Amino acid sequence: MIRFVARENVPRWLTFAVPLASVVLAAIVAGIVLAATGHNPLTTYRHIVQASITQPGAFSQTLVSMTPLMFTGLAAAVAFRMRLWNIGAEGQLYWGAIGASGAGLLFHGLPGPLLIAVMLAVGLLAGMLWASIPGVLRAYFNTNEILTTLMLNYVAANLMYYLIFDSTSYWRDLTSPSARVFPQGKNLPAAANWPALQVGSLTIPFGLLFAIGLAMLLWGMIRATRYGFEMRVLADSPSVGKYAGIRTRRKILSLMALSGGIAGLGGASQVGDFSHVLDPRGLEQAGFGYTGIVVAALARYNPFAVVVTSFFIGMLVNAGFALQGPGFPVGLTGTMEGILLFCVLGAEIFTRYRIAVRLPHRPAAAPPVEARPAVPHGGMS
Amino acid sequence: MSGINANIGISIIMTAILYGTPLVFAGIGELFAERSGVLNLGVEGMMLMGAVMAFLVSQRLPGPGWLVLLVAVLVGMAISALMALIHAFVSITLRANQIVSGLTLTIFAGVIGLSSYIAEDNGIGGKAGKHQFSDLNLFGLKNLPVIGPVLFHQSAMVYVSWLLVVGAVLYLYRTRIGLYLRSVGESPQAADAMGVSVTRYRYLHTLAGGALAGAGGSLFTLQIATNWIDGLTAGAGWIAIALVIYSFWRPELLIVGAYLYGAFTSVGFDLQARGITSIPSEFWSALPYLMTIIALVLVSVGSVRMRLGTPAGLGIPYVRGES
Amino acid sequence: MRNDPTMANGQPAFPPGGTPVPDRAVEAPGDAGIAAAMAARGITKRFPGVVANSRVEFEVLPGEIHALLGENGAGKTTLCNVLTGLYRPEEGYVELGGEPCRFHSPRDAHEAGIFMVHQHFSLVGPLTVAENVILGWSRQSGMWFSPRRVEREVARVAEQFQMAIDPGAKIWQLSVGEQQRVEILKALYRRARILVLDEPTTVLTPQEVRQLFSTLRGMAAAGTSVVFISHKLPEVLAVSDRVTVLRAGQAVGTVRTADADARSLAHLMVGRDIVLTRRERAARNHLGEAVLGLDDVNAKGDLGTPALTGVSLRVQAGEILGVAGVAGNGQRELAEVVAGERPGTSGTVTIAGRPQRGTPWEAIHAGLGYVPEERLGVGIAPGMTIADNLMLKSYREAGHGPVLHTKQALQNAAESIKRFDIVARGPKTLARELSGGNIQRLLLARELSGHPKILIAASPTRGLDVAATDSVRKILAQSAEHGVGVLLISEDLDEILDLSDRIAVMYRGRVVGVVDRDDADLDRIGLMMAGVES
Repeated sequence: MIRFVARENVPRWLTFAVPLASVVLAAIVAGIVLAATGHNPLTTYRHIVQASITQPGAFSQTLVSMTPLMFTGLAAAVAFRMRLWNIGAEGQLYWGAIGASGAGLLFHGLPGPLLIAVMLAVGLLAGMLWASIPGVLRAYFNTNEILTTLMLNYVAANLMYYLIFDSTSYWRDLTSPSARVFPQGKNLPAAANWPALQVGSLTIPFGLLFAIGLAMLLWGMIRATRYGFEMRVLADSPSVGKYAGIRTRRKILSLMALSGGIAGLGGASQVGDFSHVLDPRGLEQAGFGYTGIVVAALARYNPFAVVVTSFFIGMLVNAGFALQGPGFPVGLTGTMEGILLFCVLGAEIFTRYRIAVRLPHRPAAAPPVEARPAVPHGGMS
Repeated sequence: MSGINANIGISIIMTAILYGTPLVFAGIGELFAERSGVLNLGVEGMMLMGAVMAFLVSQRLPGPGWLVLLVAVLVGMAISALMALIHAFVSITLRANQIVSGLTLTIFAGVIGLSSYIAEDNGIGGKAGKHQFSDLNLFGLKNLPVIGPVLFHQSAMVYVSWLLVVGAVLYLYRTRIGLYLRSVGESPQAADAMGVSVTRYRYLHTLAGGALAGAGGSLFTLQIATNWIDGLTAGAGWIAIALVIYSFWRPELLIVGAYLYGAFTSVGFDLQARGITSIPSEFWSALPYLMTIIALVLVSVGSVRMRLGTPAGLGIPYVRGES
Repeated sequence: MRNDPTMANGQPAFPPGGTPVPDRAVEAPGDAGIAAAMAARGITKRFPGVVANSRVEFEVLPGEIHALLGENGAGKTTLCNVLTGLYRPEEGYVELGGEPCRFHSPRDAHEAGIFMVHQHFSLVGPLTVAENVILGWSRQSGMWFSPRRVEREVARVAEQFQMAIDPGAKIWQLSVGEQQRVEILKALYRRARILVLDEPTTVLTPQEVRQLFSTLRGMAAAGTSVVFISHKLPEVLAVSDRVTVLRAGQAVGTVRTADADARSLAHLMVGRDIVLTRRERAARNHLGEAVLGLDDVNAKGDLGTPALTGVSLRVQAGEILGVAGVAGNGQRELAEVVAGERPGTSGTVTIAGRPQRGTPWEAIHAGLGYVPEERLGVGIAPGMTIADNLMLKSYREAGHGPVLHTKQALQNAAESIKRFDIVARGPKTLARELSGGNIQRLLLARELSGHPKILIAASPTRGLDVAATDSVRKILAQSAEHGVGVLLISEDLDEILDLSDRIAVMYRGRVVGVVDRDDADLDRIGLMMAGVES
């Protein structure tokens, strides 16, 4: 009989070893899947590393892929940690892009740094407002936020498409020759291009640096502020929060808004750092919001870990673009992300439990009797 | 009712049934899983897997049409059940968070994942389907006024879906096992204490949910569309999940909701086809999703009685008290 | 209860007004030819850090009511969990009718005719009584399930044992006593040979206790064996044929109830003459102003029915007001209303002179300390550290503006750990790793360090062992000495009598009387608790 038995104490090395082991396991499983479908796993992995790190310009491209994932990863981490399942980072990012591109076009006369700040602010605000809708519904009406945030993604996508493809909105380019052939957005003025840091041959986008700063800020907030304390209490046990006088509904709303705002910043970064235009098709195909969930879950919702995991997933995404073709089908990226996350999720139990194989007719070995009586729990929270 | 109005009415009903039937399959499947206490957010991914595998089989398998379709649907169901097995193992046995696990399944199998991978690897994208479900002429009665086309001129899968709903109601409320299922979902501790195996019920019903999602997905490639596009279910899986909630986990209400959706989906296409373009197409695309939000809000604003509908043990891993 | 109305001269009497039950034959242990219906042979059961049962020998004869007596933590529930298949013993085995047997799950025990009614019922709320009774019963014929047929069958069994229950009622509509009847019905329906009940009377009114005893006697007369777990001497003496006493995981003696008396059993139970802290009644002129006032407070319960009706109370600084009553008469709702977690429908609550609008936030600010009945998961966040939990009420002032002073918090935590004798590795230990007694000490440490004016302590010693109980009592007594007003809500009448200055008795959401401790007449309090007098 195989059973899971709770560990008496959790050794610290285990909290590192288990995720590491699960990554290795994922690589093996993915290798099997590749082999089973006629691709050589080792070659594929080698190509991934080449296309994302070693080839000239690859590393910079990986940073480009990584940047939006940091934002959506942080957005998801902040919310999921509190068991607020904000799957709407996708739509909130779209709104951030809409807002930032609109601001970039409207305020083109402003000097560079100020224009960037305005774009960031508008992107933040747009994302916050969009997330406040499901936030209010959840906080005050207890409506399931999984479905509301998700549905709003589709609504936001449709809105984006409408702005560029089906209307004569401010965002749409109505004058240039190419625009007459195929609908596209107005290009943002050069002043709205966010700067990038050149380190040798490496190009580090401004958005990336901003996101790293944001991660540090969030980490500090969670650990060391009253707001973060309340968040941690509610994450652990909502009934304890109520008992302690924490205003749960306000907290839920503000956290959803914060999460949405971070995603909105990601949208602003997409426009300001990279695309310089509102590109619904590109944004939708990229699926930054959904990938951000993978990033956050792999990071176990820790803001610093998000920086790391967004880099690795960014590698995967970048390689996916670069290697697109018969050797590397489009669906491989999601497949590998899924395998990786399943392995990490599944392995987590081993940090708190170990396997006990109990053979019949043999009593289990008696653990040392300590002074304090412990009460066995029924059910897990 | 004049002849023209009757025709419009019938055409709306027919398209409602056409678009609603995949939702019936996937919805009943998710209903079973949730009744056992397992939330499976991977429905979208499972439907896509069902769709792509069914299409693949229908393109490659030689033989008479009806046999190919049957095998295609069965293969789609089997693969989707396999997907559900991953989710079941990770969230039931390994006690991972059911929400994250389900989302992972959707990402793994969904539009940027395994379903597209299989499609591209086998080169089936964009090719016309060889076999499609066509409407039957049951008992030769399809020409009866009004009820003729609606009741007797449907495809085989539609009839299967009707049997499924009736069967589900009987199963839940009139069989012993259905009673045990309801208890597992409401109070796993009580069920376990009475000797009902919580784990076994959860696994079985999650797998059943996966299989049914696969059946629903297969309808997309074998009836609704005639070819494969990456992600062609376009959120139907999510709508199925929403349906379960505001049908209060009752199959007889779920089928009504599914057909309502089908009707709304087709209204947009219908109006556009008639040249009414003042309302942009994006609004019609967004409408089902907006509808879902409104319905969800209405359900949660309702009284305590509504909340009694949720299986109390939903989403929570069950661990017996002993170590 | 000290004076059980069903007792006369130490001999169990027939329940007044109940149907007379036939005399049952009481076999002496070891009588030749009478095989035990079920027995525990050398059972040892261990959990991480504790030996719950140590080489226990225990026998139940057919048709007898056998009480398992012991204090909190003596191992009674664990032993029965082993006997009924929930746990597997590290050593020893269970014997059924003389044959050793092995249960892998409660289902195996059910197949053998052994059933247990736990303190927390295994009932499914939205389902009916009949549906719950037949749940999991594999000997039911066929795949189909007809609600009407099943309800008829269940009604028949209930009638046979004179139990009043509506088989079509949904569980959530039933009272606790009725729910317990459903649990017993489950066993009766399956023709149980042995029924184990774990502390069944804690949740019953005196009426229901009488009904329960009558049912049990009926079952025993019909040949079923009953094992009755309790820590209440009067009940054990009233209803059982034999008593086995457990102490600290060991079986220390089995006697025939007819040969036993309260004192000898108590001595076996406790093993020494333990005297728990008894507090001197506070001098009236040492008391301060009223720190808590309730004026004509009404409130609704979870199901919309009235939970509090016209409650008026006053607690002065330095005084302990005990609230006595059987569980379920509004005590929980009373605590919640004072703490601001439940809105009152009318009337006012005043804390330290400030009328309350009914939020926890406000109450905390006005000087309320609250040790809730449910510790982990309401009072203490299980996944957070000791230091964080200690900050739970004070974090708003514990820092510079939005930033917290974590170092300071850790230091304070270390001090509190020392001062309140909390056994833990350090301030960063997670709360869920602590034992019950330490969690309670942690709760008290936090609530008292906030220098509250009024402290609500709800069932503060429930489930704790003797040492922890004593230390909690001491802490409460000391805080009253320091001028804190204490509202002590407890089902343990002894505790209330030992600690309080005044005693309020609750029955059905009303305060039916307030007596001074010095004038406390036990009989009268018992009657008030039973709703007989006011």
